[in-house]
Amino acid sequence: MRLSQVLRPKEPGNLRATAVASAVLVVVFVAGASAWPWSPKRGLGLAFGFLATALFVFEMLYPFRRPKARPLGTAKAWAQAHVYLGTLAMLAVLIHAGFRLPRGLLGWALLLLSLWTTASGLVGVWLQKWIPAALAEGLHVEALYERIPVLIEQLVAEADTLMAGADEVGERFYRTEVRPSLSRPSPSWGFLLDVRASRDRALEPFRRVGEFVDPSQRTLIDDLMNIYTEKIELDAHYSLQGILRRWLVLHVPTAGLLMGLLAVHVFAWVWY
Amino acid sequence: MSPRLQVLVPAEMDQLRGQPIFAGIPEKARDKVIEKVRKYIHVVSFNPGDVVLREGDYSDSAYCIVEGAVEVVLGAGSGPAERPEVRGGAHVPPAQRPGARPRAEGMVGRGRGTGGTVILSAMPADVTPGHRTILEAGEIFGEIGALSRYPVSATVRAETPVTLLQIRLPGLRMLLAASKEFKKFLDERYRERTMARHLRSVPLFEKVDDEFVERVKEKADLLSFEPGQVIVEEGTPADSFYLVRGGFVKVGVRAGGSDLAVTYLRKGDYAGEAALLLDEAWPFTLQALEHVEIVRIGKDDFKALSARYPHLEESLWAEMVARLKLRGAASRNPVSSEYLQMAMETGLIHGESVLLIDLSTCTRCDECVRGCADAHGGEPRFIREGQKYRHWLVPTACYQCTDPVCMVDCPTGAITRSIGTLEVTINEPTCIGCSNCANRCPWGNIIMVDRGEKRPDGKPVELATKCDLCLERPEGPACVQMCPHGSAVRISFKDLERVTATLR
Repeated sequence: MRLSQVLRPKEPGNLRATAVASAVLVVVFVAGASAWPWSPKRGLGLAFGFLATALFVFEMLYPFRRPKARPLGTAKAWAQAHVYLGTLAMLAVLIHAGFRLPRGLLGWALLLLSLWTTASGLVGVWLQKWIPAALAEGLHVEALYERIPVLIEQLVAEADTLMAGADEVGERFYRTEVRPSLSRPSPSWGFLLDVRASRDRALEPFRRVGEFVDPSQRTLIDDLMNIYTEKIELDAHYSLQGILRRWLVLHVPTAGLLMGLLAVHVFAWVWY
Repeated sequence: MSPRLQVLVPAEMDQLRGQPIFAGIPEKARDKVIEKVRKYIHVVSFNPGDVVLREGDYSDSAYCIVEGAVEVVLGAGSGPAERPEVRGGAHVPPAQRPGARPRAEGMVGRGRGTGGTVILSAMPADVTPGHRTILEAGEIFGEIGALSRYPVSATVRAETPVTLLQIRLPGLRMLLAASKEFKKFLDERYRERTMARHLRSVPLFEKVDDEFVERVKEKADLLSFEPGQVIVEEGTPADSFYLVRGGFVKVGVRAGGSDLAVTYLRKGDYAGEAALLLDEAWPFTLQALEHVEIVRIGKDDFKALSARYPHLEESLWAEMVARLKLRGAASRNPVSSEYLQMAMETGLIHGESVLLIDLSTCTRCDECVRGCADAHGGEPRFIREGQKYRHWLVPTACYQCTDPVCMVDCPTGAITRSIGTLEVTINEPTCIGCSNCANRCPWGNIIMVDRGEKRPDGKPVELATKCDLCLERPEGPACVQMCPHGSAVRISFKDLERVTATLR
């Protein structure tokens, strides 16, 4: 179900429009390339260069969607435009180059940065669809990212209070096996593939100890296990929300660099 | 207008025994009832000119005049009104998007709100706009507003030094249960003074003449139901028309072994059209979700009365078709019904515009909070934390309740509902930070925010803040507009179609 959710576009109309626009661009390229020798420096090749530049410039306007800037439309419309026009921009770059490999260093840099920026953007789209669905479906707990360390501290305090009344076996189990991993966030990439990853394995010691402690102490161990389960869920949030926040480092700096090189590219074309 | 900063003194037994409101209670039981009710009764004094009730305010108390006199003045904003719309993302009609909406400090004639009615709900006398009426010792006022939760539609000021007994809603309900005479007295008062306006505020009765209204006043029964009480059972003979005067009523159907929520009724809504049109059994069960006040008109009486009004029958048919559609929608989409049931259990039905966040698409980017902060001078008006139902989060954001209990007892009238809307806003310059509204909000959606200043006694200045649906922002609520993934929505659970379309 999650896969279908991830693959389903939020606005199917935008996807269709982008597909149609892409098809039109390719048809224009095929028609143009068969009629005249294709060159990025003149005619249709140059026009596609202008188109790609204009689209990249629009892409760079994305941060200006916030209300202080009084934007047109909603942030969702901006995000959709950013994703789909970004993809079209990449296609326009490829057509501009005539689907040929560049020759100079600047050409290679522009092509690779365009590919990287587009690909990292699409990875971001995938993460932004995959992770929320995983968090909502797989976890009971919901938490604000910034508050997770505080919430974990609260869990530790709760567990300390709870286990103050434990017998020796329970107390030792808590002190040596539980508390060290309970006391700080433990982010893991494993949560990206399976949000409930290793949960059974992590909780197995609680089940084992439950068999050894005095029957009167079993409720304590069960309660401790619930606290630990909550901690695991907070770890999952910490890991995945962290990824959602950090993936932009793969995208934004290269986008900035791309724009810088694009300016050089345009300048070089105008000057020479 | 002087603020109502009155000292409440608990009423003493001796003070209460002689009051006419207790006269109807059998002598043997009187002391016991008074003892029980006493904690909800306070003695409150006002100087001449002090405001006791302000037009547009919500009140949870009735007042009995012990000594002195009050004047009742009706302002201009007292005519019947269309049901106001609440702004909130997608379901705001573009024509209502403001641009030139009244600023909070410019609001006057507050409370033209709930249920499309502004009625003389709290006053015991016929008052005409612009004129004043004097009430003296022994009179009671404010009881209908408190019981039915309509905004007060006239201002009451102390004419002379006046001493009042303030009876809070729980005490009022206890008295109604304990004293048949008191109930009869209040029912008659409602029948005489308020019912006509209440009826006229219901679109179904908009075009009927005075004779019709007078006959309904004669024939109708006034009923009260406790929370959970079944008002009518599905399958039983439908013999009456029910108009909700106050409170919320669940409309449900049996589906297999379970109970399916179809919709709910709130004040001004009605049920019983099947009885009047088809002579059929009740197609729904009606159950009180809280304390409910009902106006019941027998089938035969209603038929006789409505024979002269063909449009009544047309409206009833339309309503019945709409209800049956809802029933079908609920049966086809049990998940929507489940959400509706959840909203009834958790109180979300009180909200006219509840902010929900779809956690299955929300990237926790906090753009909604940032947008809110940008729209409110850097300080967000909601917290992205709250209850989670399935994959929906109900953040700590004002629901813009149908009955805004937060508006009861604001000493300076800083918390208001603007004309023709359902948005409840706080006017910061007049908020004194008493926390009454924050304490009264059952959902904890009003937050006291430290302003970084100190009071003369050294304590920090904290003022109440809440979501105002970005009243001054032409684009509508920033939280919805600024969500890049369309995860933030605002809905009213009354709109089952939207619930079905949104909460999948």
